[in-house]
Amino acid sequence: MHELSIAYDICRITEEHVGPEGLASVLEVGVEVGVNAGLEIDSLEFCLEALLGAPPFGQAVPKIDRLDGDELRVTYVEVEDGSP
Amino acid sequence: MAVRRIDVREKVMARNDELAAEVRGRLAVHSIPSLNLVSSPGSGKTSLLEQTLDALGDRVRMAVVTGDVQTQNDADRLAARTDRLVQAVVTGGACHMDARQISTALDEIDLAETDLLFVENVGNLVCPASWDLGEDAKVVIFSVTEGEDKPLKYPKMFEQSDYCVINKIDLLPYLPFDMDRAVECARQVNPNLRFFHTSALTGEGMEEWYDFLATLAGLRQGAMG
Repeated sequence: MHELSIAYDICRITEEHVGPEGLASVLEVGVEVGVNAGLEIDSLEFCLEALLGAPPFGQAVPKIDRLDGDELRVTYVEVEDGSP
Repeated sequence: MAVRRIDVREKVMARNDELAAEVRGRLAVHSIPSLNLVSSPGSGKTSLLEQTLDALGDRVRMAVVTGDVQTQNDADRLAARTDRLVQAVVTGGACHMDARQISTALDEIDLAETDLLFVENVGNLVCPASWDLGEDAKVVIFSVTEGEDKPLKYPKMFEQSDYCVINKIDLLPYLPFDMDRAVECARQVNPNLRFFHTSALTGEGMEEWYDFLATLAGLRQGAMG
């Protein structure tokens, strides 16, 4: 029921790591979600796809891994590196 | 195109957890025990608190923070039972309360003059289980109209609670509710739950609840010497 607010938090954490200017270059955000984290994975994925695919992001996508337990964390952010 | 991977490994709830720790710290400074009341809508949280304020109000200085998706109705009901401030949090659609709301509510409460803090969470047996508010313990309230297997259907909330109030026991003669099975279902999820069997309407079973709260608040006085 609160997947959208969690998705916003995931975007906030992403921004903390890449900075506001880096959001457009994010390609993928890795998230681990425990089966007991109290989240509907399909709904979280839907919210993340909507947020990560629109400005200030470019064309980022979520990569959600399901785990046991109640873990809920952002594991990595992949960005397009400006260097050739 | 070169791709760079930034290692993050950050808990999504970390910010809430930090705020919850801050709330816990503020309450600890004043040795205020705190209970987070959680349940489905309509289990009787507000009625339980109304009776509690009536029965213990002259002995225990209680502060209440209520959360509702819309309206301040619960806060208004409780404010009628106490001269002390009842803080209303309207979540505006959110299905749970978070630690920031509690932190803000504490700013308005005279903590030096408080013996016990209640948070009446949004009626929802799923989402509030994921948010630490900085409370000492969750109290899950479960009414006899809800079905004995509710703890099995919503295990996380029962797992995370230390106390379980089975409310509306005045209705037992009219319902096919099997109390033993309900307790067994709850114990299956959390063997350490302590139970109270209450009717906030008739007062049946409420004395044990009041004694528990008075002891909890009294521990504070003892700790303060």
